Formats: sequence, C-alpha cells, structure tokens
Amino acid sequence: MGNLTTQLRHLATVAFSGLLLATSNSLAEDAGNLYNTNFDINAGLKYFERQCSRCHGFDAKGNDETGAPDLTGRLSRASSEVGIFNIIRTGIPGTAMLPVAADLPDAQVWQLVAYISSLSTDPANIDLPGLVANGARLFTNKGDCSSCHMIDGQGGRQGPDLSRVGERRSPEELLSDMLNPHADVAPRWWTMRVTDRDGVVREGLRMNEDSFSLRIMDIDANLWSYPKNQIASFERLETSTMPSYTQTLSDSEVDDLVAYLFSLRKEN
Amino acid sequence: MNRFPLLLTTVFLALPLQAQEDEFQTVITPAFSPVTWERLVNAESEPENWMMYSGTLDSQRYSRLDQINTGNVTELEMKWSYQIPVIDRAETVPTVVDGIMFITEAPSNLTAVDARTGRVYWRYDHELPEDLRICCGRNNRGVAILGETLFMSTLDAHLVAIDARTGNVLWDVEVADYEAGYSKTAAPLIVKDKVVTGIAGGEFGIRGFIDAYDPVTGDLEWRTYAIPGPGEPGNESWSGDSWKTGGAATWITGSYDPDLNLIYWGTGNPGPDWNGDVRLGDNLYSDSALALDGDTGEIAWHFQFTPHDVHDYDSIQVPILADIEYQGSTRKVMMWANRNAFFYTIDRETGEFLEGKAYASQTWAQGLDPNGRPIRVPGMAPTYEGILVSPPIVGATNWYSPGYSQQTGLFYVTSFDGEQEFFKRDEDYEEGERFTGGGGRYNQPMDAFHSSIRAINPATAEIEWEFPIMPRSSAGITTTAGGIVFTGSADGYFFALDAASGEELWHISLGARVHAAPMTYAIDGEQFVTIASGNVVYTFGLKDD
Repeated sequence: MGNLTTQLRHLATVAFSGLLLATSNSLAEDAGNLYNTNFDINAGLKYFERQCSRCHGFDAKGNDETGAPDLTGRLSRASSEVGIFNIIRTGIPGTAMLPVAADLPDAQVWQLVAYISSLSTDPANIDLPGLVANGARLFTNKGDCSSCHMIDGQGGRQGPDLSRVGERRSPEELLSDMLNPHADVAPRWWTMRVTDRDGVVREGLRMNEDSFSLRIMDIDANLWSYPKNQIASFERLETSTMPSYTQTLSDSEVDDLVAYLFSLRKEN
Repeated sequence: MNRFPLLLTTVFLALPLQAQEDEFQTVITPAFSPVTWERLVNAESEPENWMMYSGTLDSQRYSRLDQINTGNVTELEMKWSYQIPVIDRAETVPTVVDGIMFITEAPSNLTAVDARTGRVYWRYDHELPEDLRICCGRNNRGVAILGETLFMSTLDAHLVAIDARTGNVLWDVEVADYEAGYSKTAAPLIVKDKVVTGIAGGEFGIRGFIDAYDPVTGDLEWRTYAIPGPGEPGNESWSGDSWKTGGAATWITGSYDPDLNLIYWGTGNPGPDWNGDVRLGDNLYSDSALALDGDTGEIAWHFQFTPHDVHDYDSIQVPILADIEYQGSTRKVMMWANRNAFFYTIDRETGEFLEGKAYASQTWAQGLDPNGRPIRVPGMAPTYEGILVSPPIVGATNWYSPGYSQQTGLFYVTSFDGEQEFFKRDEDYEEGERFTGGGGRYNQPMDAFHSSIRAINPATAEIEWEFPIMPRSSAGITTTAGGIVFTGSADGYFFALDAASGEELWHISLGARVHAAPMTYAIDGEQFVTIASGNVVYTFGLKDD
C-alpha cells in the first residue's frame, strides 16, 4: 500500500474518530466501532497476522485454496462494522471460519474490526482533487475508456467491467492502473497467442486457462476454446492491452478520471 | 445370582447380530471378512482391496491391478458419484474391503457405501465442540481397519473405533486436549496389534508425538515424543524451554517395514514457524523422518531434512519404502520428496543418506552436504520487512501422497515451483492460541507459477520426466500395473499419465479442486478407480460392452 492511500486512510481515521468522540454515548451498534484509533488498528493488525492470516493471507487478500475471502474490498457477508464484529465473534457455521475464543474481550474484537475496516476506503472520508462529472465525460470522450470497459451495461468487452470498481480499487491503485497498466495485470487480462496445427495464429484475452485447455476472446469478442493437446503451441503475454494515459491525458484529467472511477459503487 | 437371565440375554443379543451379518452380504459382493494383520502385511497380493491409506504398508500406492491400462484407459467412464453431505473440501482416500468402501468426510464423519454403486450402508457423525483449534481447514483423510473395526482421527484430537458393519462407536479416546491446540486429521496406521497415529497442531505450540493404541480397548500402549524431553538426546538442540512448545506435529500417515520391524513417520515444522530466534539450535526432531521400533516406539534412527527450519517446511510426506538397485547392489531405501524442494533416497535400515537433489525451484539452500544436511544460503530467514524465498510456505510439495511404480522404478510427486515473501513476528506462547511468529504473502498471482507431476529416479535423484499442470495442485498420486499414473489437479481434472514416459493418456474435468489421492480396487473382476473432487467422490471403470 503506497503513500497516497495511507495518508488518505489516516485522514479518514482521524475524521471518523472525531465523529465517534462527539457521539460516544451512543450504543456501539449505532455509533459503529469505538476502538478506531491508529493504536487500535495496529493492535487489530497484530491479532489478524497471528490468528487470521493463515487462511486469509498475510495481506488479507484471501486464498482460493482455503476458500477464505479477500477482506480488502467490499465484504459479501457484512455490510457494516457490526456485521464484521458478529462474524468474528460467532464464526460462520458450516465453514472453516471459526469463532474467536469466547473469552476474547469485545474491545479486542473491535480492534480487529477496525483493522479490517482500514483495508477498504470509505469514499465519504476521501476528498479527491478530481471532479467526478469531468471524469465521466472523459471516460466516454477523450479517454475512450468505454470502447473497452463497460459501466452499467454500456461499453466494450476488452477490459474489466468497471460498474463497481470503486469498491475494489483505491484511488492510488486506480491512478497506477491508468499510468502503469502493465504493473499489476490480473491473469484474466493477460493475452494468449495460440498457434493451431495448421499454423494459424489467434490472439485473445485469457478468459481461462487450465491444465488441459484454454479459452480466449479475440478482438471481435469471439470466444474460442482449445484443448492444449490439439494445438501446436501457445504463448502467454503477461501484459495489459490497455494503453498508458501518461501522454494522452493531463494530470488534472487523470485526477478527474480517478475521482469518477472511485465513485462507481453499487449505491450509485 | 440367578444365571438364567444372563443366558437369555446372550441368546437374544446374538440373534439380531446374526441377522445383520446375513443382510450385509449380497449376491454380487463377496462376504466381508475380518482384516487380519496377515492380510494387511500381504495387502499387495489382494489388489481388489485398498485396505489402508497408502494401499500397502510400504506406501508405494502401487496396485497390481492392470485391467485398466495404457491401452484402454481412454475407455473409462463414470460409474457412480457420492455427494458428501457436509459441504467442505474432501481430502479423503477411501478404504475398500470386500466390496465395502469407507469414506471419511469433513469435518470428522465416516460413511460406508457399496463400492459397486456408491449407495450408503451407514453414516457416523462425530460430535465436535464449537471452539476447535485447527490451522488449515476441516479435513479428514482416511481410516485404518483391523479385524472388523475402523479407526478414525477427529478434529477434536480424539481417536474413535467404529464397527465396520454398523457404524456403531466401540470406543472414543481423547488423544490430546483440543483446547491446547491439538487436532487430528490423518488416517492411523495398523502395526501388528496396535493402532499407530500422529497428531496435528504445529501452528499452536504443541509438542508432537506418535502414539500406539490397543485396538480392542483404546488404551495407550506407548507414546514417543517427536521432541525429546530433558535428559534425552536431542533436547539440547532447543534453546531454553523452547522444546515445550516446539511443534513437530506428526500429522500425516507413516509406513512400516515388517522385516525390519520399523515404523517410518514424518514430523512437522518447529514452532513458532517463522521466528527461529526463540528456539535456537537444530530443533530435533522437527522436519525429520523418524524410524521407530514396531513394538516399543523407541527411536531407532532419525534423519532431519531441515535443521532449524524457519520456513514451515514440514517433513509431512508419506515415506515410500522400496528395494532398489543402487550402485550395483539391492538396497532397502526410503524415498522422500520434501516440502523443502529436495528429494532424498535414504537407507531405511540405518538412516544413511544416499542421494539427494532439488526437484523443484528453491532459493534457500546451496545444496546438500555428503550427509544430506542442507547448506544454507545466508540471509534467507524471514524478516520483519519480508524476504522473498522459494519454495513458499505451502512447499514444493506437501502432505499429498507421492507414488512409486514397481514397473518403472520411478518415484512420482506433485510439485510446485513458487515463491513467497516470508515475514517474522514476535509472539508469546499462549495455550490454545496460534504460535507461528509470522506468515507469508505471494507477490504474484498463482497463475504466474508452475505445477507439475515429476518422475524421479531414486537411484540418481534425477528428474526423468515432468508433466505441467496449473498451479497449485494438492492431489496425490497412485500408480498401477497397467502402466498408469493417476492423479488430479487444482483446476478439477482427474487424469492418467503413462508411468514410463509421462505422456497424457486420458483426462476428465470433474469441475472442482482435487485435494485427495486416487485409489483403485476391483469387484468381481472389474477394476475401478476412485477420486474425490470438491465435495464429491467419483468412481470410474471401463465402459460396459
């Protein structure tokens, strides 16, 4: 996690703590987490590393093998800090998510909640320099993003659907995505170059690859599926098909796009 | 005392039992007969049955069945599937005796089915407390059988004896206190007249051990600690009191050589896993192979693969025993592809290191010295900031069974070429709490790494062939006299390779990750092969004419 986001999160924490102090006589369920200082977040981090990281990962990014979900974005089983608290306290029956020790004080559970909350960025506490409305225009016009990306069913198919991208990417990550698109490419967006036994080469986005077959989508959105033992060869290009916007957009335009993309959430 | 009522009781009890035995038998299934120790010693000669976790006491996972072979394996079709009712991942290797299959299920349940149809005879649901201490999922990997009794480990660190005909509990003993971090997931091993079993909990600061129980009473016959106590040789390899919480769990099934009367068993990581500062020394017998006397449990010899481990390189692999030609003579060896990325061939009479080489990517050791001890690369221990090391925490391989073919003389292992950032943390031991001292983080997506099935020549430790699959497979391997290597993959395939060449022969998509090892058996002369994928147990056979 880089400096920009860290600073943003610290600001958010301070702002949120101030709000809680002003309403400290409210019920925890109403006011949210009363243990939300940087000290609490650090205590929660320590507990997480020790007790939770084996399944959820040291970076809380989840683990497909254990079935433990990524905790750094929107949480599918909890929409509030109280919800997170309850899952930690009682576990999820029928899964490997066991409850914490019954004698663990509530305060420590709340510190863990504070840490998990700190992994995602609450847009209400972020003041970004860009303008959302400008970003929305850039997305379809000058930036030409919509030729590859869909938002709410409108746009192209050659990049990830961005309808809720604000829930899973921080402003800093969005900035990096636009300026250094090859830096962190998910395997779904790698390119595969397949040569069949007749020497015909076909290239497309790597929809899926498994031990015995692979599936791609070409530039015309045609879907192709190949058994690996029936083609001559295949090659992975672990880069992005997205251009960098370093040269084509100004700094303020990039800020506008970041603000727009970060605003894209379920409630919007 | 009037003796009459007693006599009557006996008669009435006996009648229903007899009726039950008759019902149990069917026209098409051979009578279920007790599994004697002689049958287990000679398990190889009745390949229609799979009577223990690794098939035979030498754990080769080699079956003499050859009806399904390299020439007709493409004719396999699914015969039946059995859905495990509790949703979780299945790591089970079923046991088959005389047409009855015993399937362990998550979290700690057991089912008997007709091995021809997959239809249920009975189920046993083990009651578990809600506050289990388990590191890595709700698993159970299989049972042992002796006579007409099944023996199963449970997540609350119990050993349960269950009547094979009814599923009734015969006895249920606490092996260790689950609240202190102990648990059990592995199939026990029958050694003569004892049930030998290990313990899990290496991430909770336990003190590992191997136990032997009386199969009739459940009484503990002997316990051998994997960490020597004060005054015992090896205790000096732990600084201070660190031996008390040093881990060395014994969480996978071992092997046995009846001629040498030696039990071979692997031990896990020292604890805390990633912070070695608090347990200076070699930390014996963590990350070791132990050879134990088959009657007393006394340690005959040990071989430590990773002294003072700080990367969680458990030596929790099933030891494969075979007699091989080595430098002009026949040697009794043990073969071991370790989580630390090195393959070892060891003389199993003496523990002498014979051969060893890296079989997967690794950056932590320059190689092995003439005694098989690793020559470490300086500066590869975990740090507070994180340091990139290969193999990652899950290892170059792990608990999933390797295989050996008597036809090819090759050893087969599911291997992983990956790397991970390792972190160190300071932690105090608290009973029942995790005690790991750090953790790990991948710095690339899993698809950027490589998995493969590798065939290794145990006489040279050289890789003979490899078959690439998507990372990270945790499937075990079974070989057959039909010239086949059966295994599975992380992306839900079950497949067959030519054991000699590694050539792909057949595959089928089962749709969910394979965490288990295949096994094979026969009924009325028809061979079947079974694999668990996701939450389902599938059985295949050749197409009917």
